[in-house]
Amino acid sequence: MAKTILAVDDSSSLRQMVAFSLKAAGYQVVEAVDGQDGLDKARQQVVDLVLTDQNMPRMDGLSLIKQLRGLPEYQKVPILMLTTESSDEMKSKGRAAGANGWLVKPFDPQRLIEVVKKVIG
Amino acid sequence: MTRKKILGSHVKRLLSGVSAHGRRHLSEVETDLRQTELLLEEAIEKLTSSFLAIHSAVGERQAAIDRLLAGGEPSEADSAMLAAMSSEIGNHVNTAVTSMQFQDMTSQLIERTLKRVTGLRDFLGTLDEHGSDIHPETGSEEIVERLGKVSMALAIQSLELRSVLRKSVEQKHLESGDIELF
Repeated sequence: MAKTILAVDDSSSLRQMVAFSLKAAGYQVVEAVDGQDGLDKARQQVVDLVLTDQNMPRMDGLSLIKQLRGLPEYQKVPILMLTTESSDEMKSKGRAAGANGWLVKPFDPQRLIEVVKKVIG
Repeated sequence: MTRKKILGSHVKRLLSGVSAHGRRHLSEVETDLRQTELLLEEAIEKLTSSFLAIHSAVGERQAAIDRLLAGGEPSEADSAMLAAMSSEIGNHVNTAVTSMQFQDMTSQLIERTLKRVTGLRDFLGTLDEHGSDIHPETGSEEIVERLGKVSMALAIQSLELRSVLRKSVEQKHLESGDIELF
C-alpha cells in the first residue's frame, strides 16, 4: 500500500509542487494549509511522514513539530522541515523540536524523492 | 539648559530619530524589492526555457508518433528517441517545478515589504496625531513634554516593527537548496 505524506505549507503553489512531485513517485499526499490544519489532519489519520514549512499563520512549523512529538502515535514518525530558512540557529531549533531533517527551498523534485525514499522507503 | 536649548534638543532628537527610522526601513524595502526582482527574472527565464525544451522534445518525436499512429513500424532510431522521451521531459519538468517555487519566496518578501510600509505609515500617523495637539499658542514647556512623549511612542513603534520583520528568505537564486538529515 502506498505510503502517505502530510505536506504542510501556507503557500498553495508550493503544496501543489510538493504533491505533484511525491504523487509522481507513488506516494499519497495529504495537504494542510498551516500548522493547526496540519495538526488536525495528523490526528485524523496517522501518516508515514510529515513535511512542513516553518513560517505559517496560526501555528508555525516548529510549534507543529512539538505538538506532533507530544502525540504517542507520532513519536517515531519522521518529520522533515521544508522551508526558506537556512540558518544554523533555525536548524538547531528544528532538531531540538524533533525534526529529522531540514530541506531548504526551493526543492528539486528528484532530490526530494530521494530523501523521502531514504527516510520512509 | 535654557528652555530654548531644551526645546531645540528635543526637536533635533525627534527629527534625527524619524530620519534614521525612515531611511533604515526604506533601505530594507529597496533590498527586498531588488531581491524579488532577481527571483522573478530568474523564474521567468527558467520557466520559459523549460517550456521551450518540453515543446521541442515533443516536437522532435511527433514524426515518430505520427508514423506509429499510421500503423508503421518504429525504426531503431524512433524507438530510442521515444524511450528517452519520458526521462528528457521529466528533467525539464523537474527544473520547472523548482522554478515555480518563486511564488512562495517572492510572496514572503512582498509580505515583509507590506508590513514595513504599513509600519512606516503608522509611524507617520503617530507623528501627525501628536502634532495635531500642538497649537501656535502652546507653551514651550508643554511642547517639550509632547515631544518627549512622541519620541517615546515612536521608539516603541520602531521596536515593535523591527520585531515582526525577521528576514526568512535569503535566496537570490532558484537553485535547489541544501538538504540535511539529522
